[in-house]
Amino acid sequence: MSAAEADVLEGGPSTTTVRRGRALPLRFLRSELSIIFGRRRNVALLAVLAAIPVLLAVAIKLTSDGDSSGGGPGFFEAITSNGLFVAFAALAAELPLFLPLAVAAASGDAIAGEANQGTLRYLLTIPAGRTRLLLTKYVAVVIFGLVATALVALAGVVAGLALFGGGDVILLSGTTTSLLDGVGRLALSVLYLAACLAALGAIGMFVSTLTEQPIAAIVATIGVNVLMFILDQIPQVAWLHPFLLVDHWTAFGDLLRDPVSTDGISQGLLVALAYAAVFLTAAWARFSSKDITS
Amino acid sequence: MQTLTMRTFTARPALRWLVPLAVLLVVLATFLATTRASAKAPLPEISAQDLLVKVADAKVDGLSGTVVQNADLGIPAIPGGSDSAGGKLTSLLSGSHSMRVWYGAPDQARVAVNDEYAETDVIADGSTVWTYDSRAKKATKTTLPADAKADESQRKAPAGAPQTPQDAAKEILAKITPTTDVRVDPEVSVAGRAAYDLVLTPRDSASLVKQVRVAVDGENYTPLRVQVFGPDDKVALDVSYTDITFGQPDARMFAFNPPEGTKVTQKAAPERKEPTAAQKKELQSRKAQADRDTTTVGEGWSTVVITKLPSDATGSSNATLKGFLGQLKPVSGSWGTGRELDGTIVTAILTDDGRLAVGAVGADVVSQALAR
Repeated sequence: MSAAEADVLEGGPSTTTVRRGRALPLRFLRSELSIIFGRRRNVALLAVLAAIPVLLAVAIKLTSDGDSSGGGPGFFEAITSNGLFVAFAALAAELPLFLPLAVAAASGDAIAGEANQGTLRYLLTIPAGRTRLLLTKYVAVVIFGLVATALVALAGVVAGLALFGGGDVILLSGTTTSLLDGVGRLALSVLYLAACLAALGAIGMFVSTLTEQPIAAIVATIGVNVLMFILDQIPQVAWLHPFLLVDHWTAFGDLLRDPVSTDGISQGLLVALAYAAVFLTAAWARFSSKDITS
Repeated sequence: MQTLTMRTFTARPALRWLVPLAVLLVVLATFLATTRASAKAPLPEISAQDLLVKVADAKVDGLSGTVVQNADLGIPAIPGGSDSAGGKLTSLLSGSHSMRVWYGAPDQARVAVNDEYAETDVIADGSTVWTYDSRAKKATKTTLPADAKADESQRKAPAGAPQTPQDAAKEILAKITPTTDVRVDPEVSVAGRAAYDLVLTPRDSASLVKQVRVAVDGENYTPLRVQVFGPDDKVALDVSYTDITFGQPDARMFAFNPPEGTKVTQKAAPERKEPTAAQKKELQSRKAQADRDTTTVGEGWSTVVITKLPSDATGSSNATLKGFLGQLKPVSGSWGTGRELDGTIVTAILTDDGRLAVGAVGADVVSQALAR
């Protein structure tokens, strides 16, 4: 283990390690994914995430009597005219808490969960090195975030089209476009939000290296997320807002403008990249120098 | 574990923390480099007068861009909710707002105010003006009178007004130089473009307005940014393009078809009629009354304007006004009692007997002006 680990850290020349390392990542990633998607807690979370767009569509179907009066939170007013907007409304509704909760559950559990169960030291005996272990776990968290976001969108599309039907999509600028274009914009929204959530996942990974209590790491990650949302609402600290990770999340709505407004989205991606880089390297610094006692 | 310590980086684990720190520093440095970017090469020197002439002469063949407005005027929110039209307008008085602008010709333009998951558009194509509110799913259509264009060309400049941009520039400068220091800073960059900054600095230190800067594009002489600085060089108002492209926008941008399910309200453009003799008389008497009721104290940037408001304006029936006044600080002086609004660059006192004193000066100066 130690030789391989050192080689990974140093980018060492040992050919055997490199060859072994090439074959390893996929198998390793698959096992990490099966851990994340196998956790009953995570499966339950995914089920809740998928149920919300369905609930939302049913509730609006039952209360609306065909009249499409405006109002309501993001995208709600558009649902009755096109079922596709159930997916956008569900993403907007789950963005502040439910989607971050899913990512926090996966990322906070990543290291602390293994440490808590006493499996971390056995995991470190496989010839992968701590850096690769951390990266693989992070990739698994990112995939989980993407799956969670896509699931919300998919459940929204299915429920929305079933209850309200499809048809042409009316963009925020008042332009009418095809359903296919609308679905494409939804797919881009999912990718953008998954990238934003990946940055939160990096925070979760860092917190997870600090403790051996997975629940503490999950709660702390959610706490950071909620704190950023609260700060984002306080006008007195407006100067801080552009630096908050969550400030740019709602920019996915810009994808529904005509032409697409890219300012908010590119800023959001840059901020997400900055957060991910800082917290992943911090997680690496902590994890690779940590004494593993459990 | 033993071999870990043998390697260089792992010899001192604490050194690893330098990596996230370095990443953080790189992020901050990149941020500073992009926001503080100054013009690549300074533009040739130009006098304030020449710059004003160029601005007046500038012809823009269309542009599209994003305007971001940041306001910190220190004015409390006016109650009434953001749903009302007034609420929407007053919401521009504080916070940060982003809007996209397309401009094709003087009568062809589109402004889209980006809200969270919503958008408000104003589209003018020369014969019709549309407004569209995506959240309310409402549109209004105003058809402009066919002779609107002809009308405008007929309207003549009032007699005595400067006829050429050169004269106008000279006159403006002659008017403001006694109270204001005017200079041109040729080394600013707005929306990635080299620009001139026309810097107006009030000579009067009593004024809350410390500086006004108007950035003008170095190539097209289009205004790109307006900044107003309050005390301590705090930006009270900043309206600027964050990106701008010159050139005719897609004609599609000025066409609007209300989407299905939109409530469209038709509005007729107000007709321009010659006022009748009676109307003229009433206008004149109102103007005279207003002149009698308004006095100014001080001069230049520290002028305080005192107006006696018509008795119906401050009536107790106006709940919105009452709610707004309730947020303000009660003050008193030798002139009586009232409520004071402490803005970043403006102070206003509304006395209980219905006098309103406004000035770009501190509260003490406004109070003194009232006492006079």
